Amino acid sequence: MEFGLTDEQRQIREEITRFAENEIVPVAEEHDVEESYPHDVVDAAAEMGLTGAYIPMEYGGAGYSILDTAIITEELFAYDPGIALCIVSTSFGCEAIMNFGTDDQKERFLEPVALGEKISGAAISEPDTGSDVSSVSTRAEKDGDEWVINGNKMWITNGTVGDFFVVLCETNPDAEGRYNGFSQIVVESDRDGFSAEKITGKLGIRASDTAELVFDDVRVPEENLIGTKDAAFMQQMQFFDETRTAVAAQGVGIAKGATRAALEYAQDREQFGQSISEFQAIQHKLAEMATNTEAARNLTYKSAWNVDQGEDITKLASMAKEYASRIAVDVADEAVQIHGGAGYVNDFPVERFYRDAKITQIYEGTSEIQKNIIAREMLGKGF
Amino acid sequence: MKILVTVSEVATVEDAFEIDGTTIADQYLGADLNEWDDYAVEEAVQLQEADLADEVVTVTIGPEDADQTIRQALAKGADRALRVWDDDLADVGLLDPGTKADLLAAVVDDEQPDLVLSGVQTGDDSFGATGVALADRVGYQWAAVVNHLEHEFADDTASVRRELEGGVEELTDVDLPAVLTIQTGINEPRYASLRGIRQAQRKPLEVQTLDDLGIEGVDSALALTEMYEPESETDVTVWEGGADDTAGDLASLLREKGVAQ
Repeated sequence: MEFGLTDEQRQIREEITRFAENEIVPVAEEHDVEESYPHDVVDAAAEMGLTGAYIPMEYGGAGYSILDTAIITEELFAYDPGIALCIVSTSFGCEAIMNFGTDDQKERFLEPVALGEKISGAAISEPDTGSDVSSVSTRAEKDGDEWVINGNKMWITNGTVGDFFVVLCETNPDAEGRYNGFSQIVVESDRDGFSAEKITGKLGIRASDTAELVFDDVRVPEENLIGTKDAAFMQQMQFFDETRTAVAAQGVGIAKGATRAALEYAQDREQFGQSISEFQAIQHKLAEMATNTEAARNLTYKSAWNVDQGEDITKLASMAKEYASRIAVDVADEAVQIHGGAGYVNDFPVERFYRDAKITQIYEGTSEIQKNIIAREMLGKGF
Repeated sequence: MKILVTVSEVATVEDAFEIDGTTIADQYLGADLNEWDDYAVEEAVQLQEADLADEVVTVTIGPEDADQTIRQALAKGADRALRVWDDDLADVGLLDPGTKADLLAAVVDDEQPDLVLSGVQTGDDSFGATGVALADRVGYQWAAVVNHLEHEFADDTASVRRELEGGVEELTDVDLPAVLTIQTGINEPRYASLRGIRQAQRKPLEVQTLDDLGIEGVDSALALTEMYEPESETDVTVWEGGADDTAGDLASLLREKGVAQ
């Protein structure tokens, strides 16, 4: 059993620290307050190869494993979750193209994302389709050698900045079984009939772009369909282990960043003639925050490592996602508490961590869905 | 053209630390690529990208612990690395610039680079002497504190701009082979890319001992006898009001302090 990081992984972490301190930290508050997308930071991140890190070298990426990617995600989220999400989400949807796309599709779509020239997105949720993904109603109908797409997608990351989206569409309403009859189709944002409206007023991750997408008779060539027609659920399900592990890594990062901020503040802040870090009440908070973060990290790394080994780890990935997101929320809460009044305003980053943490319990399957999955696996397969 | 870049790993220290005799406890210390050398590596890599250099080699005097810092330079684009180390060096402690120059001169003899780029100084010891001492040892031309280098080498000449005292700059030409000590700000060092970090793990990093370099024994003229934090004081003057009212006060203060005349 090996718990250490490789020299390469340590080097990645150090270089990201340098990048984050110079490029992210100085502009984090501004993008949060203004709800503005950090184009300059994303461009700089692309230059460094942080966008599409897991895309294979042959398509311009760095070919990093899920564990490497989790380390990158954790490190970025420890500095600012909003901007970090902008960076790691530039390749959302690409995992389907990477695993099920043709060589031509990989060249067309993966390469520009890996090189930072294009931004992708995954479009699954709809106004009436959240946790119950099988109720997707966006419709793709065949007309000659084109797909004609109609429908609305909701809460789509990169909605107004993305160049293309992997859209979950119903392609066969007559298919038997509630999980059959759906396909993943790439829709470029410059197609006629495509529009996106930015959603503002988010609680957290406000630098990240979120939008509603509208498809009004959008026509795309038939070669934009990824993998097998009507089999999108089977395809998508294979990435849940990856994407849930990735959100777990986000949670670990938020907990790490909040703990670091609280530790620093506790040592600086003086009350009753001494640093508040001298008080046992504060020390115990810090100890629990660090311990819980470490536990979440180990669960997350174990999940990532198993995905890399090609194991089917539905239960473990859900455990990591549920636990790390809960720890992110708890730790950010305690970090604000340690800051007292100073933590309630945005002079310090913990106020942002507190708001940003919540989303990790909601997207990529809510905490309740994760617990359902864990219990289902236990009841079905035994403990 | 072959470029040799001298790369040092420097000690970094936490904002708050404790001195114990002539050392700082490990828990307050970190290590990083010397800031000036980061600019020197960037300059070399840019010359290579412009097809002016065929090979960029780094050389470091340091123990195995320095490998991570050396890989950082490789990740940014250097082709291969040399690390000079020997148990005898570990026993010496603080190496003086002359001794370092002797070691590096042996490497220059082996490698025969056309251009040696060295940081002006290191961020920890701050001698600022090794690059020029090396030029003297190997009989190369040199220019110190270079803040601009023309990316063309007509007639085997490097055209440089260098900083002199008092804000004066000098434009000068240096015949190759030459040693240039590189000042911060000459370029904008890149971050190591993820691809670069991956590739760096497979680039050659060769260790050379004193025997390999044909050097018999080393001795340093320097010894560290004391370590203390210099006293610092701050003196701040704040004027309330707009520029019209306060500019005169600022001008008087600057004159009084000898900053402006």
